[in-house]
Amino acid sequence: MVVLRSRAVAPAVASPPPPKKREGDEAGIEPITPARAREPPAAAAAAQQSPQSSAPGPGPSPDDAGPAGPRRRSLRLASAGEPAGGTAPSGARKRKGRPIGGEEIRVLDLDGGDGRGDAPRAKPRREGNVDGDEVKDLNVELDLMEFPEGDGGGGFLSLRSGKSSDERGLEVRDALVGAGGDAVVNISDGEADDERERAGGGRNGAEVKLFGVDLRGIVNGSVKDKERNSAEDKGKGIMIDSVGTSLVLKSDCDGSGEVRRRGKYSAAEKGKAKLVEDDNFLLSNGSDVGLNQENVVLDGSTRKTAEVRILIEAPSRRTRVKLNESSGLDMREKFKEIARINASRFAHFNPEEVEQESNSAPEVAGNAEVASAEANEDPEDWPGPFSTAMKIIRDRSSKLSAQQTRFPLEKSKSPVIEWVPRRDQGRDLIEPVPPSLQELSMKVLADNVDAITSLEGVPDALRHRLCQLLCDSRRISAHFFDLLIQGCPTELCIRDCSWLTEEQFDKSFRECDTSGLTVLQLNQCGRCLGDYIVSSSLAKSANSLTVLSTVSITGACRLTDVGLRTLVSAAPSIRSINLNQCSLLTSASVETLANRLGSVLKELYIDDCQSIDAMLTLPALKKFEHLEVLSVAGIPSVCDDFIRKFIFVRGHHMKELVLGDCPNLTDASFKVIAEACPGLLSLDIVNLIKLSDAAIGHLANGCRGIRKLILRRNTFSDEAIAAFLETSGEQLEELSLNNVKKVGHNTAISLARRAKGLQILDLSWCRNLTDEAMGLIVDSCSSLKELKVFGCSQITNTFLDGHANPNVHIIGSRLSPILEHINVPETAGLLRYS
Amino acid sequence: MKKEGIVKLISAEGFEFVIDKKAAMVSQTIRNMLTSPGSFAETELGEVTFPEISTTILEKICKYFYWSMQYASGKETEFHIEPELTLELMMAANYLHT
Repeated sequence: MVVLRSRAVAPAVASPPPPKKREGDEAGIEPITPARAREPPAAAAAAQQSPQSSAPGPGPSPDDAGPAGPRRRSLRLASAGEPAGGTAPSGARKRKGRPIGGEEIRVLDLDGGDGRGDAPRAKPRREGNVDGDEVKDLNVELDLMEFPEGDGGGGFLSLRSGKSSDERGLEVRDALVGAGGDAVVNISDGEADDERERAGGGRNGAEVKLFGVDLRGIVNGSVKDKERNSAEDKGKGIMIDSVGTSLVLKSDCDGSGEVRRRGKYSAAEKGKAKLVEDDNFLLSNGSDVGLNQENVVLDGSTRKTAEVRILIEAPSRRTRVKLNESSGLDMREKFKEIARINASRFAHFNPEEVEQESNSAPEVAGNAEVASAEANEDPEDWPGPFSTAMKIIRDRSSKLSAQQTRFPLEKSKSPVIEWVPRRDQGRDLIEPVPPSLQELSMKVLADNVDAITSLEGVPDALRHRLCQLLCDSRRISAHFFDLLIQGCPTELCIRDCSWLTEEQFDKSFRECDTSGLTVLQLNQCGRCLGDYIVSSSLAKSANSLTVLSTVSITGACRLTDVGLRTLVSAAPSIRSINLNQCSLLTSASVETLANRLGSVLKELYIDDCQSIDAMLTLPALKKFEHLEVLSVAGIPSVCDDFIRKFIFVRGHHMKELVLGDCPNLTDASFKVIAEACPGLLSLDIVNLIKLSDAAIGHLANGCRGIRKLILRRNTFSDEAIAAFLETSGEQLEELSLNNVKKVGHNTAISLARRAKGLQILDLSWCRNLTDEAMGLIVDSCSSLKELKVFGCSQITNTFLDGHANPNVHIIGSRLSPILEHINVPETAGLLRYS
Repeated sequence: MKKEGIVKLISAEGFEFVIDKKAAMVSQTIRNMLTSPGSFAETELGEVTFPEISTTILEKICKYFYWSMQYASGKETEFHIEPELTLELMMAANYLHT
């Protein structure tokens, strides 16, 4: 690796872009076996480069004799693109990453150059899977490198400039290793799409080209010359291998080289010529190729060529590049060979790989059936609002990329956003808002809670607010609890009952008149709520809770099915029951609920109930006639089958679905949801990494009335989310794109155009959004009240002080007391949708 | 007679507090009463009666109005509330939406 890197780096030394070890790698890179993924390329690279030596000169890869043109170019590209050194080794390390590595490298380069900072996202992740730690390291580095974008490959450039490739590589590595947080996160997500897109938009044309070249070279993995040629011709094989190769190629890239390279490319590669001209194209090609490569390899050699071809075609759809496949036979052979060699590498199933495969589906919409690992059709192929929107967005990008043919583009693949901050110092002139009298008195009350003798006459809302203040500051006590229970309370909402002991609970509730209780919220009641307590206190008699309609006993970790049955037998009119984190409940509880409350229950929350087997609850779930809200987050047994069966029966009334952290869900579930839940208003799909753009497409086509969409760590592409916003953005009130790494300018523009009703927006960790993008969003979304930007280190005061929206509250940009921003649903007792 | 810019708040015991209209507008409820296009008697006379708010509480509320205007103009001081008034004050403030 080091060797690889150094080679690439060395050439880069001469040029600002990172050394293009790629070239060297390319030459020597051959399909890397999992065990020694790096070695072969390393060896090959070594020949051309010495890891730590600066042997590889900037321009002339020693091996680039024959295909000197392309190779050289690739090197430049490689180096220009990214911190080749750093990435090269990582590329090798990652099995999956290897081909990805190549991709990633490409991506990295692109990212570096790409002002949008797309880079940080996808690449690292993909690689991460295969080689775990190593990959992660690499990814981390990559991320690090990507972040400081600004100009083409800013981060990288800084790393690269003035240092030997070795140093750079090492530094990158060190930097990467040092990175934490995002980088690691990025690694896990591994979005090929992202990379590809990035590649397309790549900062420098050179970089982009490198990808093409590198990939090809890598794929061929044979003699340098042959590699180069084949690489250029095919442009596909590269993905499979070698990050190292790619790196090498990249490192050689640099501005001047680009021009030259272009020429060479066009001469040498019929297919690739266009790619050269169009940075975007090349990038997308590369990325597509890379992704497809992976898929190809996974599927076997026979498909490889087909997919490879498809890959080339796919990007061309977008990039208008017609790849020439005249040398198909040659490529076929090579691919077969490569596939054979690499097959073992892909023997390990990696969910991220699967994810990537499905991610690639939208990218190659035209060839979805072939390229996609999923059996689902790509919604982009269907006529419908989503596909229309996607076309619009793609055209937007490709028009832009077409206009920028020869320059390294910072945001080549994304539309340019024009937004200027206001010029006045409005920020400072905003009047301080005096705290309300109610809040002031509430605080004084909270301070003197022991002196309160009675809460009679105090409306429920004020009681809840006071209780919340006390819980947050841990000043709540049994005395206040008694005050709350005095008389005939109608609502009892305590957010945190961890302080309440069993004895206190028992004593208080024995004497309490619960006949008027309509809302009971005892969250975090594990300590005080056991089976026998329920029967002796809460459910004293069969009719003790007759009007209870909303009950929430989250965290009741000692409550079993028996206790729940007792509770439910005393409360026949429950319409909303929240049993989150009640870990001892099994499907028998759901059975009980269905038998007693089947005709009235509207909201059921069973997040994190680990003992509940989703499939076993199906018969019971189907009995709920009016269920509107179902929350099953964190239950691992929730799978596509479960969703399909349940939604077919009860999907018609569903208004809210919380399916976060159910890792087995795939696009198939969302096809069902889109078809059968026309009235869906709120959807939470955090951490579902197996989803691809197809899922968003289904939702856009099917659930047109969505008001609240919560994403986190999903791997949807920028275009897909933008297309979703174009079709359904008008009704959206709350949107979270937390850690959806690929979000970029397309999304920003669509938000600005469509999301007029948006009130809460979470763009934390979306590092591709620049100040301009944020400013455009905030200024255009006139209803926006809250914007979360945790982890967006790329935004500056230009945006924070320069936006023109007086109502928006920006959270997370600076250190601030976290509790200030915690949103507590005010109406704890009311049903959400009835 | 109705002077411009002045409103009268009448407590449960009948005490009348005469304050600036601008100060009274701090309360959303009073603002709605005085500026609604409908025909509240209050709009005509410039008087608002609160049969359920006692005098001490209403007096404190008027003090809050002036403090709030002062705060908004930049002078940020602390508004002290006697603990024994707090509960009633909170409920009155809730009613007045202030």
